[in-house]
Amino acid sequence: MMLGVLLAIPLVGAVLLWRAAGRVATALHALTAGLTLTAALAVSVEVNRGEPVAALDGFLRADVLSAWMIALIGIVGALAASEAPRYLAHTAPARFYSLFHLFVFTMLVAVSTDDVGLMWVAVEGTTLASVFLVNFEHTRASLEASYKYLLICSVGIAIAFLGTVLVYFAGIQQFNDEAHALRWTTLMRLAPGLAPRVIELAFVFLVVGYGTKAGLAPMHTWLPDAHSEAPPPVSALMSGVLLSVGVYAILRFKPAVDVAAGPGFARGILLALGLLSVAVAAAFLWTSSNYKRMLAYSSVEHIGLVCLGLGFGGALGTAGALLHIANHALAKSIVFLLSGRIRSAYGSAEIAAVGGLMRRMPRTGAPFLAAMLALIGLPPFGLFVSEVMILAAGFTQGFPAVAGVALVLLVVAFGGLLRGTHTILYGTPPREPAAEISGWGPAFPVAAALLLLLLTGLAWPPGLAGALDRIVAIVAP
Amino acid sequence: MTTTSNLLAFLGLVVTLLIVWRQSWPARLRLFGAQSLLLAVLASTIGMLAQRRGLLLVAAVFVVVKGWVIPRVLARIGAGAPVRSIAPGRSPGISLLVAGGLVVVAYVIMLPVTAAAELPTEGAIPLAFAIALIGLYLCVTGRDALGHILGFLVFENGIFGLAILATYGLPGIVEAGVFLDVLVIVLIMEAVVVQVRREHDSIDVDRLKELRG
Repeated sequence: MMLGVLLAIPLVGAVLLWRAAGRVATALHALTAGLTLTAALAVSVEVNRGEPVAALDGFLRADVLSAWMIALIGIVGALAASEAPRYLAHTAPARFYSLFHLFVFTMLVAVSTDDVGLMWVAVEGTTLASVFLVNFEHTRASLEASYKYLLICSVGIAIAFLGTVLVYFAGIQQFNDEAHALRWTTLMRLAPGLAPRVIELAFVFLVVGYGTKAGLAPMHTWLPDAHSEAPPPVSALMSGVLLSVGVYAILRFKPAVDVAAGPGFARGILLALGLLSVAVAAAFLWTSSNYKRMLAYSSVEHIGLVCLGLGFGGALGTAGALLHIANHALAKSIVFLLSGRIRSAYGSAEIAAVGGLMRRMPRTGAPFLAAMLALIGLPPFGLFVSEVMILAAGFTQGFPAVAGVALVLLVVAFGGLLRGTHTILYGTPPREPAAEISGWGPAFPVAAALLLLLLTGLAWPPGLAGALDRIVAIVAP
Repeated sequence: MTTTSNLLAFLGLVVTLLIVWRQSWPARLRLFGAQSLLLAVLASTIGMLAQRRGLLLVAAVFVVVKGWVIPRVLARIGAGAPVRSIAPGRSPGISLLVAGGLVVVAYVIMLPVTAAAELPTEGAIPLAFAIALIGLYLCVTGRDALGHILGFLVFENGIFGLAILATYGLPGIVEAGVFLDVLVIVLIMEAVVVQVRREHDSIDVDRLKELRG
């Protein structure tokens, strides 16, 4: 019931907003985002208090892993939604709100269904809902970005479909109830008997396919374009949660693969792709001249780290990876929102064109600095804790070489990101920015997200450790 | 059933190779339509022989979506596009050679599946996967938006064939989702291509190169 309400809110909102305009649209948008956040938090609390919730004969189902993602989508969705009216103040909204909530809806469906087939449909839906948002500004560059995004992600997701078909094939070999063979709960029950070679092949396809959506190198090529050309609220959603939805899809299959094919198989693939992603990102963080592209490559880096954490496995690695997903979502979404404000003040997304942020726009510059330090992985923010957990897992699970290389690459990435941040904050500006926005409205969401990051870094709120433990019990039993 | 499915999948592969070979857009489009029809026949044959009523419905939707609606949209996109000229160093001979190699690769990759399958249709599974691989190759090497879309659709057709042969059809909601997705992708592609053409006066995506690094 609760789950149905959660999914209905953004869907109904999107439908109502399709034709809405002016103040009505803004109010309706705020209402939809607020209700989605409330429902998302309510579902996660309910799931974490007791049993998984289900609806429609188990077709929709949220366990603790789903609840983690649902809460994240709710929070990042609300953060991004709070910036949307400001972004749209100077342009015609033209269905932006409607597509925005449709996008949120598809992500929520992807993480709250028990059926891996429906999950596939929903992940594909995220591409379709967001492609017009990427091209919202109708420039040559955004057109190119949306073309690449649609083509690469469609091919990727079709490969994931191939993987899903093979999983289904392996499932019905031993279980003749076709209606339930794509259910994740069934899959987990059947896992010990699934044909290992078929499952291995399926997992390769699934990782390549969903990895494309997650932005793992070498399938990440659409990501810097789409993230840098999309409007800031959409970049925040894409970078903050869309990538994690891709990781979530891989994560759903991993325990079944571990049981059917042995734990080494998935681990090897995840470690290789994770390390490659961090390496690619570390290199490109030094060469990006556009700060939104720089942030996009930083997302590739963090998703790579998450993959490393999942690959190292064990309680520490898995919990670290999940915590890292949450921390990255918070930090990256506020950085993207702030970068939107910077771009509208300076009229450029080039690093060289926006110097001296700290002096000219202190109310934007200070939180930007804080969030960038968080992204770089410095204490006292949460990303430091989750990165330490992931790397510690690497050393304790017997992969000191991989963890060591990752550590070196992280330092390289650290330097690149710090260099860009330094130019933006303290360089000499080629021109004066427009007046900075001020007031409580724009400051509140940013402050709230930074506060959450401090909490995950310094003092875990009650229930966080328990939630992570319960997820680990599902993903890495 | 084995003979029929093998024959149909083989014909599908032949049509795919013809798509690789032909250079004129209308001819490639007709071949794509023919391939879709072949797969629909494959689906309905399996549906009848294996007593799966659902597959007949899937085949019917497949004919409408991939045999009729999508080719019409593609024809609309392609209207006015110049005949694809043979670029130096990219003769269809090389592409055909690569496609032939991909058929062998498909057999190798699908070994675990054919080994695990105890189905009368298992012999055709690698053929369907070969269609998918060749589609992927067409998509990656396509020189304009039309080439990309056509390659993607052939890829999708191959996966559809594989799904039918290996599982006798997926649950209804997934099939419905797949059709809807493909249709929406093609429609969005049309919108994007129309805009590319307006901006660049061409659908040659090589001109899309503002975003680098």
